Amino acid sequence: MRPDLNLDYALLVPEYILGLLALAIIVIDLMMPKIRKDALPFITAGGLAVAFAVSLLYIDTDDNFAGLLSIDDYTTFFRCFFIAVTFVTVLASAQYVQTHLRHPGEYYSLLVISTVGAIYMAAAQELLTAYIALELLSFSLYVLVSYAKMERRSNEAGMKYMLLGAFASALLLYGISFIYGASGSTSYAEIAAAFEGGTEGFTFGTLIGLTLIVAGLGFKVAAVPFHMWTPDAYEGAPLPITAYLSATSKAAGFALLLRLFSGALMPVIDDWQFMLAAVSAITMALGNLIAIQQRNIKRLLAYSSIGQVGYMLMGITALSPEVSSALLLHMTGYVITNMAAFTAIIAYHNASGAEDVSDFRGASDRAPLLAAVLTVALFSLAGMPLFAGFLTKFILFQSVADNGYFWLAALGVVASLVSLYYYLTVIKEMYVSAPPDSFQQEGRFRIPLIMQGAVIVLTLGVFFVGLYPAPLFELTDSVAAVLFTS
Amino acid sequence: MISLEHVLVVGALLFSIGLFIALSRRNAVGVLMGIELMLNSVNLNLIGFARFVEAPRPIDGQVFAVFVITVAAAEAAVALALAVAVYRLRQTIDVDRLNLLKW
Repeated sequence: MRPDLNLDYALLVPEYILGLLALAIIVIDLMMPKIRKDALPFITAGGLAVAFAVSLLYIDTDDNFAGLLSIDDYTTFFRCFFIAVTFVTVLASAQYVQTHLRHPGEYYSLLVISTVGAIYMAAAQELLTAYIALELLSFSLYVLVSYAKMERRSNEAGMKYMLLGAFASALLLYGISFIYGASGSTSYAEIAAAFEGGTEGFTFGTLIGLTLIVAGLGFKVAAVPFHMWTPDAYEGAPLPITAYLSATSKAAGFALLLRLFSGALMPVIDDWQFMLAAVSAITMALGNLIAIQQRNIKRLLAYSSIGQVGYMLMGITALSPEVSSALLLHMTGYVITNMAAFTAIIAYHNASGAEDVSDFRGASDRAPLLAAVLTVALFSLAGMPLFAGFLTKFILFQSVADNGYFWLAALGVVASLVSLYYYLTVIKEMYVSAPPDSFQQEGRFRIPLIMQGAVIVLTLGVFFVGLYPAPLFELTDSVAAVLFTS
Repeated sequence: MISLEHVLVVGALLFSIGLFIALSRRNAVGVLMGIELMLNSVNLNLIGFARFVEAPRPIDGQVFAVFVITVAAAEAAVALALAVAVYRLRQTIDVDRLNLLKW
């Protein structure tokens, strides 16, 4: 062992807690049949709350573990971010898992394990670590997507997601091998040092490497030429997992992209910027256009999330401290909004079994709270003022335009306008169409208290980001600054 | 004398063959085998670079290859389990016939 390696295991305590939690859930599920299964989500949520509290102790740390994982404010931000998303997902799953799925123990523990993968993707400062973390997240998700074992669509979705994901990993790895060959190292800092001369000494091998890395990571975040798995996985997966996919798996991909491109590939920015600009433009355009003709609410949100990926890729394209800060802000707003939308849809689905947009007709009578929350969330996704989506998009587009990509920002504005159309069709079903005849006998849906609480808190979050963004803005500013100091 | 170019050319050939298999097979297990071939070409590349390129830590590439092998094994386990689950339900693992979900 080399003496200069910093092997301070205390830096990784939040992940140990998560790991132990995952194990504990399986053991409890297995050994204590007396514990009622519906207690499991609350045990998981309790453990996640502890991990969240412990993560907060690392604010202002600037350290690294053996040169593999850096524990700085960026990591702390994403630790809290991912743990919070899993917390919401777990609570939103409670009722759904009980009625639709078997083996709840493994379900919750896989969710927790995938959170560790997502956190390490944000923390990795070395390609091998980043790759292992990526696969930890992906493998958990492959299993979770196909978790409804007896459901044909869930199985099929899992199979497709798995094969395409493995294919993307192979592309990514082939790209990594060329970057390793060109720079002689897998550490971000050393890669940046090797590429210091910029495009001087730039070889064909490096170009292949960069292209394949963009393609491989593009698959993971569902950017357009590589997006084909997304709608299928979203539609087939159990609903809470769809929510989780749209939040954590996207955000983790961007956390990795942001650190990789700012830390390692910044010197060769001229050689990848145009690729990302093109991918971003196609993603925005296609995602929003195909969403128009979707009839299934999960598929609709899948294509809408592809469109959102296009906006976020803009942020990677015009990489600079301000843009990264705006990107983090937009991502936070997007994830809060998306979780609000999905939690409302899960609650509605639990009560009615609805999956198609047309099943939402008359939702304002059948479940007024859920209809209101979903309306807020969809308006925010479309970028209407007052809600989180407008402000974060505005700041993102503005900073991208300031950094020389005005045409991309303009395209983003047009794409947002298009997206308003298909969000409005859902809102129209909920408020304008009359409820089905069965409404007279059934009356309003009864929504469990915990779901009501969750949607209300998330909706308040949407308004909070939209109306008083200053605290969050300062936070993302200081977090993004960490990436560009070294 | 074997040089870096030889290793890379073999790697590229292996990768292309794997890519072709992954894209052309209709059987899910066949696709998986193509992907495994692509991963092996990555290993070949990594080990070649580790041997021939000036690097601060020459062993990095070899360690990377060991991890890739391990992850590939885990990947095969998950994929085959999924294939079994799909086969039980549908009596086929032909990817062309897994077509409930489209557009």
